[in-house]
Amino acid sequence: MRYVIERLLFSVLSLAVLLVLTFLLTHLSAADPAVVAAGPNAGAEKIAQLRAEMGLDKPLIVQFLIYCSEILRGDLGISWFTRQPIAQDLLQELPPSIELVVVAMLINLAISLPLGLLTARYANTRFDDAVRLLVLVGAGLPIFWLAILLQQFVGGQLQWLPIAGRLGFDNRDFAGPTGFALLDSLLAGRLDVFADALAHLVLPAFSLTLLFTAVGVRITRTAMISEFRKDYVVLARAKGAKNGRIMFRHVFPNGATPSLTVFGMQFGWMLGATVLVEEIFGRPGIGRYAVKAVTQSDIHAVVGVVLTVGVVFLLANLLADIALYLISPLKHRSPSTP
Amino acid sequence: MRRLLSYPRSTIEWSAVVVACLIVLMALFGRWFAPFDALQIDFRNKLKAPSFVHLLGTDETGRDVLSRLLFGAQLTLSSTLTVLVIVVLIGCTIGLFSALIGGAIDNLLMRLADIWLGFPPLILALGFASALGASLEAAILALVLSWWPNYARLTRMVASDILARKFIASADALGVPLTRKIFAYLIPNAFDVMIVQVSLDVSAVMLAISGLSFIGVGAQIPAPEWGAMIADGRSYVSKAWWIVSAPGLMIFLTAVSFNIIGDMLRRELDPTLRRDRREGPAGA
Amino acid sequence: MRKIEKLVPVCVAIASLMVAVPAMAAPTGTLVIADSETPENLDPANATNSTVDELLIGDYDTLVQFTAGETTVSPRLAKSWEVSADGLTYTFHLRDDVLFHDGTKFTADDVKFTFDRLVAAKGNVLNDTGPYDSAEVVDPTTVKLHLKSSFGPFLSAMSRIYIVNKKLVEPHMSEDNARTWLAVNEAGSGPYIVTSYKPTEAVDLKAFDKYWGGWSGKHVAEVVFRYITEPSTALSLLKSGEVQMAPKINAEDKVALQKDPAYTIDVGKAATPMFFDFNTQSKGLTGNKLFRQMLSMTFDRQLHLDQVLLGFGSIPDGPLPADWPGHVGGTESKFDLDAAKKLVDDNGWKGTTLTVRYLPAIAEEQQAVEQLQSNLAQIGITLKAEGMTFPAQAATLQKLETTSDINVIYSFPTFPDPHAILNTDYNSAFDGFKGGYNWANYANPAVDTLLNDAASSSDQAKRVDLYQQAQKLIGADYPAITASLPGFVVAMSSKVVGYKYNVAHHQTYNYMDIGLK
Repeated sequence: MRYVIERLLFSVLSLAVLLVLTFLLTHLSAADPAVVAAGPNAGAEKIAQLRAEMGLDKPLIVQFLIYCSEILRGDLGISWFTRQPIAQDLLQELPPSIELVVVAMLINLAISLPLGLLTARYANTRFDDAVRLLVLVGAGLPIFWLAILLQQFVGGQLQWLPIAGRLGFDNRDFAGPTGFALLDSLLAGRLDVFADALAHLVLPAFSLTLLFTAVGVRITRTAMISEFRKDYVVLARAKGAKNGRIMFRHVFPNGATPSLTVFGMQFGWMLGATVLVEEIFGRPGIGRYAVKAVTQSDIHAVVGVVLTVGVVFLLANLLADIALYLISPLKHRSPSTP
Repeated sequence: MRRLLSYPRSTIEWSAVVVACLIVLMALFGRWFAPFDALQIDFRNKLKAPSFVHLLGTDETGRDVLSRLLFGAQLTLSSTLTVLVIVVLIGCTIGLFSALIGGAIDNLLMRLADIWLGFPPLILALGFASALGASLEAAILALVLSWWPNYARLTRMVASDILARKFIASADALGVPLTRKIFAYLIPNAFDVMIVQVSLDVSAVMLAISGLSFIGVGAQIPAPEWGAMIADGRSYVSKAWWIVSAPGLMIFLTAVSFNIIGDMLRRELDPTLRRDRREGPAGA
Repeated sequence: MRKIEKLVPVCVAIASLMVAVPAMAAPTGTLVIADSETPENLDPANATNSTVDELLIGDYDTLVQFTAGETTVSPRLAKSWEVSADGLTYTFHLRDDVLFHDGTKFTADDVKFTFDRLVAAKGNVLNDTGPYDSAEVVDPTTVKLHLKSSFGPFLSAMSRIYIVNKKLVEPHMSEDNARTWLAVNEAGSGPYIVTSYKPTEAVDLKAFDKYWGGWSGKHVAEVVFRYITEPSTALSLLKSGEVQMAPKINAEDKVALQKDPAYTIDVGKAATPMFFDFNTQSKGLTGNKLFRQMLSMTFDRQLHLDQVLLGFGSIPDGPLPADWPGHVGGTESKFDLDAAKKLVDDNGWKGTTLTVRYLPAIAEEQQAVEQLQSNLAQIGITLKAEGMTFPAQAATLQKLETTSDINVIYSFPTFPDPHAILNTDYNSAFDGFKGGYNWANYANPAVDTLLNDAASSSDQAKRVDLYQQAQKLIGADYPAITASLPGFVVAMSSKVVGYKYNVAHHQTYNYMDIGLK
């Protein structure tokens, strides 16, 4: 319990550091959103009025304190451009990105865990070498390059999968309560929409996950190998237990736990990388929202995005760590470790 | 040197070493072999397919892709190197400091590093770009800020491991000064681990830099950074595929070969793995 | 002039009576347009922004409007109008058969409310209405607009004032002058209704059956704007038939599609010149008129038109399009690199380094900058390019010390009048320090006087003369190069019928007049 609280406190501290950093950066920036917001031919007077309205003329410290007090109330401010509360904008934009990352992570886990286990079991064989090569190759592919190529060939030329967007033309009006197309379509019982949304997710998720999956296989393999060398495995084998049993009941759960930390971090990394995939595949999400905010110097929106991604990242890590902590005491209780 | 030559064990590893060396040579000397000026535009020659004159074709302003590739090698690799050098310096210093000072501060620093580890650099870079204006320098800054915890943690781990060993106690008893301890004991022992990590990170950092240039917050025109070249050529991918394929392939080859090298180095240099192999599979 | 203005709407009214009771063809089909920039919001106060304008143009009505292809306004919600002798009062006679989308009847109150709200909210569209003062309701079908002083282009500026439904908007005035509500809701009377607004993905519009203009001719029942940033993605979607209009694919692809009978390429005659603005107030070399004259000869407009625009556009002759009233030719230097080189050698300018700032997101700007870099390198001048975002660039222009030697900027006139280009770009009241788009910081009192006089006059002949004088004076100071006059090129499926470029609403599509074969 103490561990959890400690982690929580540090997470908050980290977030605070992040907040200060981003705020300072975006405010110290020379960019002037007032000129853009005022429109062409605004005249110096109107721009000055707008700047005052946006609070840009107050000293930096005052602006920061105002912003912090708003954050504590859960108010991320109002975007100067969409004129909506940023928290609301982000709530709308976050689900499609999270959906993409979740699907990508599922693909990652589905490949990393079994492959990691198998290559650990059959370490230093031809199979292991082959997978190792594939992994090193996969880890070298730039996400955006892969996305472009996949889109052009699989989507454009072969036409096996959709080229862009989140849903097909016939389902363009579909909207659900949660904002997650996959979930909403299941809740509404619309399996056709579910299949459609899934089809549109395949190429983007695959482009996003390949790099991370390659790393995931390696991490899992390393963790599994060190598990295999542990005394309790030797003991079990000496007792005559079958390999399969050893693998699934002991090695796999014990070995998977250290990799949990990495997978938790990867969730955050992937969220940050969605911008590459969203731009190319024309999908909505916080990546696109972030790019537009940066282009317009919508300062509060940029800070809002960085904070949100930071929070999600920290949450993912925290959950992974807690899961690890909960599982590993069980490990410590077994007589197998020295 | 002979020991180094004994590292590569398979054809693949040998190829990776050769490719990596070629790419480094390309970064160092490529510009003198470039047939054309990487920045010279010539609209009459735009979007020409690969030919004997332009081995890799021309891009949308008529620049020779091969020449840009050769110049870009230096840009991409030097910025990758810059990030890694700064990150190693900062990370190791912090890690070393943390290990030496121990106690609560050590705890605090490491926890911060743990949590800061790998904050999505792309988002941070977007934030930096809106502040400092998009440039290669801003991208490097963002990456440095995202990457240092890795090395801090690693250094601290190695350093506290070494500091706990018996020979340090003897050194203390002999009155060996701190600086000598650092340079004679800590750094050489940490070197192997560092080298492995760095060679694995080369590909990761390079992919990050080109990713940032791709969305427009890294290298600016007319810089022939490989990621920026892909960004420039992405709308022509169906007609003039060479503009996007050539730099993409280069990034890919560089990343993969350094990955293989890093893996090879880890196998050769990582003391834990070595120990295990010598002891045999059962740990007897 | 005023008599003709009164006569035209009357003639149109008679003509439309003669064509009365047209065939009411119900709109069918869905038009999907792939645009690259996502919209900011739906607020008519921001209609100066093209991403907003392209959505609102079919959802709302204005008092008068430029029909696509025309350069003078024609009646819409206002059937006819008069201007007082002193030019300070515009009286509009309104239609009485207009219904808003929610069924409310349109009256003069809605016009007054629209204007009052814009003043309270400091709407950007008011930036172009000059000395507008107040609105006055005379009776349900008559409204008077009062100006503080005479303003020639006032009627043209009315084409961006979208009239909102007072009944729907007034209850929200307490929330930031209805900005929060109107940012994501519509309150119009136009032929289409925004039914779904997802700004990072797509916006949906459906036909309004009770539209006062009726549905004669071919129209679509539904319009979808899909936001696709990647030109290659947009091209793939156009080819697969998922979208019917793709204006933002790159120029080479447009040329290739021209040969394909399944697609049509429309080149709209846009009036959006691209300028290289020189910092005329710089303490460095660009502050020297001779140096600027040298620079003015270093850009090859023909090469740019041929190779970058691939022929889609025309060679600019000065800041105004050649067919606009008030245009005078020959005010800018021709491309002559040898003469420029001679000036450089004679004056010892070799080895100078200049900086140009521009938006890399715009391919044309990037390629123009690259050409300039290359040309200047040939005569011994190094040009460093700094890519920025628009707000960042605007910020650098607010102080002389941070203004770079050259800045690239387009002019996006909100209506086809010389005032919209010359005043915005060369009046010292709008220089960079004051947050305007006169990025050359050109300050010539004689030019200012000419421009201000032309703005306040309603005598067309006089205005033409004043603008011509202004252009000659401007040209003699070499504050900028008008580098290109690109056309607005739209690639579309040949099934699309009725698309026409509207010079008064750049980067929008007249989807209310489009039908599908």
